[in-house]
Amino acid sequence: MAGTSIVSEFTKGFGRENPTFVQVLGMCPTLAVTTSVANGLGMGLATLFVLFFSVLITVIIKKIVPDGVRMAVYTVVIATFVTIADMFLRAYVPPISKALGPYVPLIVVNCIILGRIEAFATRNTAGRSLVDALGMGAGFTASLIILGAIREILGSGKLLGFQLLGSGFHPLLVMVLPAGAFLTLGLLMAIFNAVKDRDSFVVVEGR
Amino acid sequence: MKKMVIVLTLVMLIAGLVLALSYSAFQPRIAANQAQALQESLAALFQGSGKLTFTKIPIDQPIIYVGKTADGKTIGYAVRVSGSGYGGEIQMLVGVSTDLKKISGMQVVENVETPGLGGRITEDWFRKQFEGLNPDKQIDYVKNVKPDPAKNQIEAITGSTISTRAVTTALSKTLQQALPAILKADGASGNSK
Repeated sequence: MAGTSIVSEFTKGFGRENPTFVQVLGMCPTLAVTTSVANGLGMGLATLFVLFFSVLITVIIKKIVPDGVRMAVYTVVIATFVTIADMFLRAYVPPISKALGPYVPLIVVNCIILGRIEAFATRNTAGRSLVDALGMGAGFTASLIILGAIREILGSGKLLGFQLLGSGFHPLLVMVLPAGAFLTLGLLMAIFNAVKDRDSFVVVEGR
Repeated sequence: MKKMVIVLTLVMLIAGLVLALSYSAFQPRIAANQAQALQESLAALFQGSGKLTFTKIPIDQPIIYVGKTADGKTIGYAVRVSGSGYGGEIQMLVGVSTDLKKISGMQVVENVETPGLGGRITEDWFRKQFEGLNPDKQIDYVKNVKPDPAKNQIEAITGSTISTRAVTTALSKTLQQALPAILKADGASGNSK
């Protein structure tokens, strides 16, 4: 959009176009791996890596890619970077790789990536597209960290592996299970959007 | 039409090349990680025995390692066990004494059981129950009563019977296959080459 500042292109990934709480994209990894902050951070950074480099390749080749093979080409580009990210994790951070498991290869089908490529990178300048990718990736990571922190503290009493709450605290096991993921996500989404749209609420006089 | 074919083919070729290069770059490290993880799991089965080397017995199934100390004395055998748990595959390593009469330890290498419930199969108290049991007899689990090791019993995890049962069944079944294989391959009891 003309007139949007570069800074705004970056921050929209955290606020008004947050991929998790506003766009509701990438729900599968969001629910599955946010059992701890470390896992959420790992997934977020891996996704950011894939998003950034996929958008980079996209802005370079978008002029020569014919319309009919657009999807196939961009999917292959994304899949290549996902494979690289997966191999990197398995080589250098095996504990995170093990914790994230099959969800790293599944980044290929994370709607955020193809979404940003189709909706933004193919229609905007290279500079803006890259800033958009960084903002979305960082915003996604931040959302995962928040979700991960809540679920880790309430579900195990720990934060980043460190025991935070004393032995008198009985962990709420549901928080590390799918049900807890949905509950936390739903509540956070409600709060997030209430704050985001607070100026647009209209008070109707009741009778 | 022609342009679509050319562009697509080019993209695939370049992607393939990049992946092949990445693979050669990362694979040595990945293989080293896997080998180290295996070594650590094997060593954990025979704690307090000093530095050990493990060699695989040259049979296809089950996967069995012979553990030897630095001076060539056999300390025991490690058998790879795989079972169907509640959430997915459970991979374990079970140690057997040299005379094949006792289980010397049990390690859970990989599992996707529910954390806090079936996931407790990795906890020390649960795994320790297998030490001293007879590898040649069926291992059973009991609930709400004290297990009798003489009857090859262990106590199940409260609320996780399925995970417990998966472990005991897989261990019993694989050990039954492993013992004759060890006898055949290594000539058995008190091997002190």
